[in-house]
Amino acid sequence: MLKKLLVLLFTFPVLANAQTDTTANPPAEEDFSQYDSYNFVDQSIKKYCTSKVFDLSPSKLISIGYDFQGGYNLTTDTLFNPNSSEYTTQNTPGFGSIQYSHGLRLAVNIPVISNNAIIVQLGANYAEHRYKFNQLISSPSNDLITTLKDNGLRTTGLNTTIFKPFNERSFLLVQASADLSGDFGFNSINLKYLRSSVAAIWGQKKGDRKMIGFGLSRTYRVGEMNYIPVFLLNYTAPNRKNGCEILFPARVHYRRTFSARSLALFGYELEGQSYHLGSRNTSPALQDLELRRGELRIRAVYERSISSFLWLSAQAGFRYNYSFEADRLPEGKEFFRGFFGDQPYAMQNTLGNTFYFLLGVNLVSP
Amino acid sequence: MKNPIKLLIIITLLFASNATFAQQADDLVGVWEPSNGKVRVKIEKLGTKYFGRIVWLRAPIDSVTNKPKVDKNNPDVALRNVPIKGFRLLKDFSFKSVGEWTEGTIYDPENGSTYSCTIKMKDKNTLDIRGYIGISAFGRTDVWKRLEIKKQ
Repeated sequence: MLKKLLVLLFTFPVLANAQTDTTANPPAEEDFSQYDSYNFVDQSIKKYCTSKVFDLSPSKLISIGYDFQGGYNLTTDTLFNPNSSEYTTQNTPGFGSIQYSHGLRLAVNIPVISNNAIIVQLGANYAEHRYKFNQLISSPSNDLITTLKDNGLRTTGLNTTIFKPFNERSFLLVQASADLSGDFGFNSINLKYLRSSVAAIWGQKKGDRKMIGFGLSRTYRVGEMNYIPVFLLNYTAPNRKNGCEILFPARVHYRRTFSARSLALFGYELEGQSYHLGSRNTSPALQDLELRRGELRIRAVYERSISSFLWLSAQAGFRYNYSFEADRLPEGKEFFRGFFGDQPYAMQNTLGNTFYFLLGVNLVSP
Repeated sequence: MKNPIKLLIIITLLFASNATFAQQADDLVGVWEPSNGKVRVKIEKLGTKYFGRIVWLRAPIDSVTNKPKVDKNNPDVALRNVPIKGFRLLKDFSFKSVGEWTEGTIYDPENGSTYSCTIKMKDKNTLDIRGYIGISAFGRTDVWKRLEIKKQ
C-alpha cells in the first residue's frame, strides 16, 4: 500500500504535465498592455549603465591570429653612449633586407566578475614577430640584425579591464597590463624587464547608441613609455548601419554594420612595445638595450560570424614605422622622454614601411 | 502497514515536503526586468520546466522599419518575422536546488545567439542570470529585478 502511494505521489505531476508543448513560442494573444503598469517590488533599486553600445564589434574571449608583413629594409646605427665611448665600437652599422616578418598572436580574456555594478576581466596575451632576412645581409655581424634574425621579438603579458558604472550615465573604465617583451626564449624570462601600462577613463553613456569618455594613459603604444590623454567614443547612428569606435590616439575606426553577424572597420591602430634585447646573451653590445618598437597600422578589418560564437577576422593595410630606436636602460630602469625630451637614443634605426595582413579566429563574448 | 497513524504521518510529511519543494522551485515565477531596462520578462512554469517570454518592450517599434520589432537576427531565416513581444527567450530551466535553476538557455535577440544559462536567486526579488558559452567561465552575468503590478 505504502509503495503504491509513494509511486503515485512522485509520478502524478510528471504524468499530469507530460502533454505540454514547451518548445515553440507561445501565441501572442495576451494583453501585453497590463505590463505597462508593473513596478519594481524593491523600490530602492539602483540602476547602472552597461558597457554595451548597439552594434559594437564583438569583444573577444579567445583570439588566435596570424600576422604577416611584406618586405622592407632595416638600417641600424652604431651604438651611442654619452658616458662611455667603448660601446660605439661594439656594434657596426648595419643594413638588412627583410623578405617578410610574421608571427602568431594569442589572447584570452575572461570576465571573472560580471554583474550590473562592476565588470572585471582578466586576460593573457602572447605575440611573436619573426624576421626572415634575404640572403644578402650587408652587415652579418650587426648585433641587432643577428638577434632579430635568430630570435625575433615576442611579447607576453597579463591584463585586466574594469568597468565600474556609478549610475545610469556615468562610469569609470580602467585598463592595466604588465608585459614582458624582448628577444627572450621561454627559459630566459626575466621579470625585472616587465613593463606596465594603465589607462583610466571617466565617461558617460548617452543612451544605447553612444558612449563618450576622457582619461589619461601610461602607455608603450608608441614604443617607449609615455603619458597621453585619451578620448573614448563609441557611437552607432540611428540607422544602425554606421558608427565609430574610437579610443584616440590608440585606435580610430569607422564602422559599417552589414548585419548582426558581419561588419567592417576602417581606420588605424597604434601598436608598440619596449623590447628588452640581449636576453639570450647573444652579444655584450645588446645588454641593457631596449628596442622601442612603435608602428601605425592603417587598415580595413572585416569580421563575420562563422558559427554562433566563432567569428572570423581579416584585416589588411599599411604598416607605417613610427619608432624602431633603442635606449640603454641599465638593470631595466625606465625613464620618461615623452614627446619633448631630448635624451639621445643609444641606437637610431630606420625601418621601411610595408603592407600587412592579419587573419584571426575569435570566440566572442555573450 | 499496521499502524494507521504512522502511515498518516508519513503521507503528510511527503505531501508537505513535496509542496515546499514545489514552492521553492516556483519562486522563479513572476515578471522580471533585466539591468538594461529594455524588456520585461514573464517567467512561468510549463510542465516541469521554467520558461521566460518578453511581455514588454521599452521601445516596441523598430526605428528603421517603423513597425513592431521582430526577431530579425534569428539565424533561421524562416523565424525572422516572429514578433519580439511574446518571444520566449528563456527556455528549459530545471529547478536544481534552493535558489538555483539550471540546464536552460537564453536567447539574445540583439545578435541571434543562444547561450547556455543558469539562474541563481540572490534574494526573492533578485536574479543572477548567467549566459555562457560551453563553460561558465566564458560568460556574463546580468542582474534581473522582480516587478509587480502597481498597487491601486
